[in-house]
Amino acid sequence: MNSKHSLALSLIVSTLAMGSITQIQAATNDVTVYSSRKEHLIQPLFQQFTKQTGIEVNYLTGSGGDLIERLKLEGENTPADMFMTVDAGDLWYAGTQGIFQPIVTETIKSNIPSYLRDPNGLWTGLSVRARTIVYSTDRVNESDLSTYGDLASNEWNKKLCLRTSKKIYTKSLVASIIHNRGVDDASEIIEGWVNNLAAVPNAKDSHVMDAILAGQCDVGLVNTYYFGRLIEKNPDAPLKLYWANQDTSGVHVNVSGAGITNNASNPSGAIQLLEWLSSAEAQAIYGSLNKEYPANQNIDSDDIVSSWGDFKQDRMNLSIAGELQADAVKLMQKLGYK
Amino acid sequence: MKEAFFKSNFWIGLLAFSVAFPIFVVGSSWLLPGSELWLHFAQTLLPELITSTLILLLGVGAGVSILGTVLAYLVVMVEFPGRSWLEWALFLPFGIPAYVLAFVYLGVFDYSGYAQVWLREYLGIPGFDIRSGHWAIILTFILVFYPYVYMMARASFKRQKVQMIEAGKMLGAKPIRVFWQISVPLARPAIAAGLLVTLMETLADFGVVSLFNYSTFTTAIYSAWGDFRSIEVAAQLASLLVLVSFFLIYFERKARGKAKYYSSDVSHLKAYYAKGVVGWIIFFFVFGIFMLSFAMPLLQILIWSLEVFSTEWSKRYFNYFSSSGILTFLATVLTVTVATILALPSRRKSNSKTLQILIRFSTLGYALPGSVMAVGLLYGVQNISLISIYFGGSSINHILFGSVVLLLFAYVSRFLAIAYNSSSASSEQIKPVYEHSARLLGASRWRLIKEVYFPMMLPGILAGGLLVAVDVMKELPATYLLRPFGWDTLAIRVFELSSEGLYERAAIPALMMVIFGAIIMLLFNKLDNEKY
Repeated sequence: MNSKHSLALSLIVSTLAMGSITQIQAATNDVTVYSSRKEHLIQPLFQQFTKQTGIEVNYLTGSGGDLIERLKLEGENTPADMFMTVDAGDLWYAGTQGIFQPIVTETIKSNIPSYLRDPNGLWTGLSVRARTIVYSTDRVNESDLSTYGDLASNEWNKKLCLRTSKKIYTKSLVASIIHNRGVDDASEIIEGWVNNLAAVPNAKDSHVMDAILAGQCDVGLVNTYYFGRLIEKNPDAPLKLYWANQDTSGVHVNVSGAGITNNASNPSGAIQLLEWLSSAEAQAIYGSLNKEYPANQNIDSDDIVSSWGDFKQDRMNLSIAGELQADAVKLMQKLGYK
Repeated sequence: MKEAFFKSNFWIGLLAFSVAFPIFVVGSSWLLPGSELWLHFAQTLLPELITSTLILLLGVGAGVSILGTVLAYLVVMVEFPGRSWLEWALFLPFGIPAYVLAFVYLGVFDYSGYAQVWLREYLGIPGFDIRSGHWAIILTFILVFYPYVYMMARASFKRQKVQMIEAGKMLGAKPIRVFWQISVPLARPAIAAGLLVTLMETLADFGVVSLFNYSTFTTAIYSAWGDFRSIEVAAQLASLLVLVSFFLIYFERKARGKAKYYSSDVSHLKAYYAKGVVGWIIFFFVFGIFMLSFAMPLLQILIWSLEVFSTEWSKRYFNYFSSSGILTFLATVLTVTVATILALPSRRKSNSKTLQILIRFSTLGYALPGSVMAVGLLYGVQNISLISIYFGGSSINHILFGSVVLLLFAYVSRFLAIAYNSSSASSEQIKPVYEHSARLLGASRWRLIKEVYFPMMLPGILAGGLLVAVDVMKELPATYLLRPFGWDTLAIRVFELSSEGLYERAAIPALMMVIFGAIIMLLFNKLDNEKY
């Protein structure tokens, strides 16, 4: 074997070794997290936690469905102590798959209200994501707006922009409509939405707002933090949020949240992390990083966020959104909501 | 040992089988009980998405064949202003991931993009939704994938230029007639090979179609899994994609027929000299394609990067870059090695139909969406563990899950087709007479490989390797699911930021990928020129 070959071989061997070393490191005192919340939104939180406690956090991001599969297959050998997602539906499903162990501690109970937690104590919400109406202040009177369902009326024909039905936030919203209004009403609403669309449903909430700004449509539905980011960058944009369903069920909220895995090798460290994430300090970071609402009701929102005013939240327990998600998708696929 | 290894069909078959392993796992999903989900899909999604998938394949297929072939013909046969730098510049779009190109195009050309804003304000043209209908996504795919056909057709034209020029003289040298009657028929196998890769890529794509919210077969696959949590139905649907690819390959083989590439003298003469206005028209056409497919997106990415550089840049980018680099290097070396072993000429091998089919199978991973491939691999490992436990052994899940080994395995399975096509194209040029002579002279098979086959196949092997490298660098779904802790790549960073709508920030890792890809393509071009 000449030197070129041995160089290549040693490169390969050392890389493989590196791979297994990271595996081994994960098994010590550290807390290991699988997360479908994106890296740039969790890394600053973990950094702060490590600074305060000395406990290192290893994390691996991925899509929610992928990570649940990986957790199931890894079983008792999983390196993950905590699973974090951006949707109650994924949390609920992970719960049904036996991935979580109960985590109800007094701290979490007192920090997070019960409708944002799993009834069986398998997971807790950590930040609240409100999905509501956004409209063009140039072309729409606030007084013409009322509910999600009203956007299905003829008045909004060719004036509505929506995000794709493939996105989990849409699925959860429709699940909540099915829960609040029943399948028949929900069908009518979706049918009306589809008829009113001014464009093919958009891939992102940010595209929905771009379309309204460009005049392609007048109203849309978005998670408020996307609006927050846009307004932070462009304070004069002729766009405003409207709190939907204030006289009825309230604004649909979803959570990003987490649970402790059944096979956690460091459950006490993981619980410490989870409790810290529900604390006032961490909740404030959630708000400033991504303009989300705190799940901990004892603290104030970020400045921009609180400028949008208070609103009534839909208090439907979020595990219901999980249970009804498949029905919601079936309905949307049947009615041609792409 | 070496001797036995390279001689035996069994070992080669085992190698091909291993690579095809995730595909077999995905296919085995049909053994599971049926699901009522099929009925729901049949009543809702399937009719529309079968039509739209077909329209997409036809549109993209026709588009890349025409564009790729015309561009290749122009740069090889015609001398026009700017020809020499455009010839290599047309390779560059390969380095841009399709989903990056898609979000740049949407940002520029959709209703709210500045191209349309400009049209509305200055020309009074009413705005339109480019995502409705088929043409915009078809054009996007054409601009992403034309380099495959361009590259193959160009190589073929270069090899056969002398024949084309001579035949052209006999016909009276009308360039358009030469193109249709001589060049295209001669290059047909090459065009078909490039087309095949394009169609498989289009079938497996998820990034571009989801940005356009266009329904293809992958929409149903992701719905089965993401919406209904049914991995079985997702795998069953995905295995239909594999089946379609199998037929596509069959037709490509047929189209190629007995045609073999034989090198002939290479001349640096041009057949035609386009002067004056015609020359400039050709220049603007080729330059326009280069602008649209590379320069314009690159400029947009650059502008975005500069806007957010101070907030987004951090030293973690060195990690993303080195993860991408190491994975790309290792995966490429492995894939190319496997492809070379499978493509080595051998009479015994070509006589075994089973082995031929098995090798074909091992290249089908290219048509599988990356995440289906990855989950197939996880379930495959799980099944091996279950068998091992049944016989009193232990589970291997924890050793393999989240290890570089499994990720590299996925890359090889997914991208073998690219390396194999390239190596086998060069091994097919090797005449069988070598094997006879070697036997007569008593030379071992190993010596034959080392001293005759390998040097002759080397250009094909290297070319395939560089293409694999670009593909691995761009790969997202399998990497996302299988990577070990701390191995975030540039592609993952682009995805995480762009999926939150943070395109400006995503532009920084995207820019690094484009540079990375451009370096690889320039290497490719250098190598390619040395062949002639």
